Amino acid sequence: MATRLAMFIDTSKCMACRGCQVACKQWNDLPAYKTENRGSYENPPSLNHYTYTRIRFNEYDDPERFQWLFLKEGCMHCTDAACVDVCPTGALKHGPYGIVTYERDLCNGCGYCSQFCPFGVPHLNVPSVAAGTPDLLGVTGDEESTSALAGLTGEAKSAKCTFCQDRTTNGLKPACVKTCPAGALDWGDRDEMIAKADARVQTLKSELGYPQANVYGKDQLGGLGRIYVLKAPAEAYGLPEDPKYPVMSTVWQKFLQPVGQIAFGATIVGAITAFFVARRNVNMEEVE
Amino acid sequence: MSVRLRGTDSAIQIRWIPKYTTLERFLHWVHTATFIPLALTGFVLFAPFLESVAQGASGQHIRLIHRIAAVLFGGVPIIYTILQPRRMLMNLREFLSFSKYDLLWAKAAIPFYVLGRHHDMPPQPRFNTGERMTAVVMVLGTITFGITGLSMWFLKAAMPVFLFQLMVIIHDLMFIITFAMFMVHFYLAVIHPMMWQSLVSMRYGVVSESYAREHHAMWYYGEKRAKEMWEQRHAEGEH
Repeated sequence: MATRLAMFIDTSKCMACRGCQVACKQWNDLPAYKTENRGSYENPPSLNHYTYTRIRFNEYDDPERFQWLFLKEGCMHCTDAACVDVCPTGALKHGPYGIVTYERDLCNGCGYCSQFCPFGVPHLNVPSVAAGTPDLLGVTGDEESTSALAGLTGEAKSAKCTFCQDRTTNGLKPACVKTCPAGALDWGDRDEMIAKADARVQTLKSELGYPQANVYGKDQLGGLGRIYVLKAPAEAYGLPEDPKYPVMSTVWQKFLQPVGQIAFGATIVGAITAFFVARRNVNMEEVE
Repeated sequence: MSVRLRGTDSAIQIRWIPKYTTLERFLHWVHTATFIPLALTGFVLFAPFLESVAQGASGQHIRLIHRIAAVLFGGVPIIYTILQPRRMLMNLREFLSFSKYDLLWAKAAIPFYVLGRHHDMPPQPRFNTGERMTAVVMVLGTITFGITGLSMWFLKAAMPVFLFQLMVIIHDLMFIITFAMFMVHFYLAVIHPMMWQSLVSMRYGVVSESYAREHHAMWYYGEKRAKEMWEQRHAEGEH
């Protein structure tokens, strides 16, 4: 594979202007919709089918001071991507530059990706109160808006950040990176982004008074496509320190699938063979 | 009930013994007609080599067919329980009663079904060991499919992801088990040369006297008599 590209995200420079959210919607042609004021600047309340990236606002009370931590959420483009493994259609794939690409036409809306992603990133376009996704049925401008019966028929499509696959595979930066006015985002060779993150963490630790600063994304799940500079431990941002590839995906893909396919074939072949053996051996004159 | 073969004045008379009610036969066919599409549509999402069928609108329709078939499949035991509760309980009780004759059956089954050796086949009640095993697996399967399937259908967003993942695994595992059982059942009921009467019984609800005697002696003669005959035959055979 060609070079692996990655997104550099410096949370110490992010000012939560959410220009990235707007640029993302603009480039990917995603509709806006009304939300309720929940007493926070954070909006919408979670990633969803129409929001591929979002700034999460975390309040962190460390021993020294109170911090407001801003995390740019979105698909992590994992090396060990469970979504790619469980997708039965091939709509989700490992594409060029390590991007986990998504082809909407191929998706059949099964939703396995949304249930197996360790970060809970992919979302279906059906309303879900439990997942904090607002009722999106009233959204206009979306040709594929699902019908009122979607909950019964299962009609749906998944969606997630693709690192603007149509831009990045043509040598451009993702829309969010291009728009970021604070210089918190960058895009380029993954090793370079890691080096940049390491250097920034050093500065944060030694000069700016953030002893807990660290880099996130280097090794998690085989290496993420997002390299974060964090000012505080990952948990403070709501990120899992050590995200795990779902065990059930391994059981399913590595064990049940081969066993099931063998069983499917073996029973059919077995029945045919048994028929010919029985026909040869059974004396039909004795059969009642 | 007896039938006179057409074209012959005398000779063969077949006595037919009722085995299934009309409702049982109808529901069994509904079960068959829904299980097969359920297995096939489920397999499309299960097997990676069928990826191209699972894609886009085709995959969407396959998921829809799976849901419609699932509702009918799940409706079968419910309708049966409502309309013929006593028959249902009677069958269920029969399905769950296993004895040492089932071990003997397991030993004799392969020589019997593959090689046609009748001698070691022990007497069986109205359902033989294999039929009862299939029935038990299907009952457990229906319950499991119901719980896991409805959860995946309606509680996708409400349940913890780990639980959802577990539901997928259990659903798939149960599919493998029930499908293997179904294939054996289908083979013995429809394809096996000796078992031609099982299809007749599922169509007309009856089996011939000689078939009942041969394959379900405990049902035909009564348990006590059938066991006595078996012991006697066995004692003779060993000398």
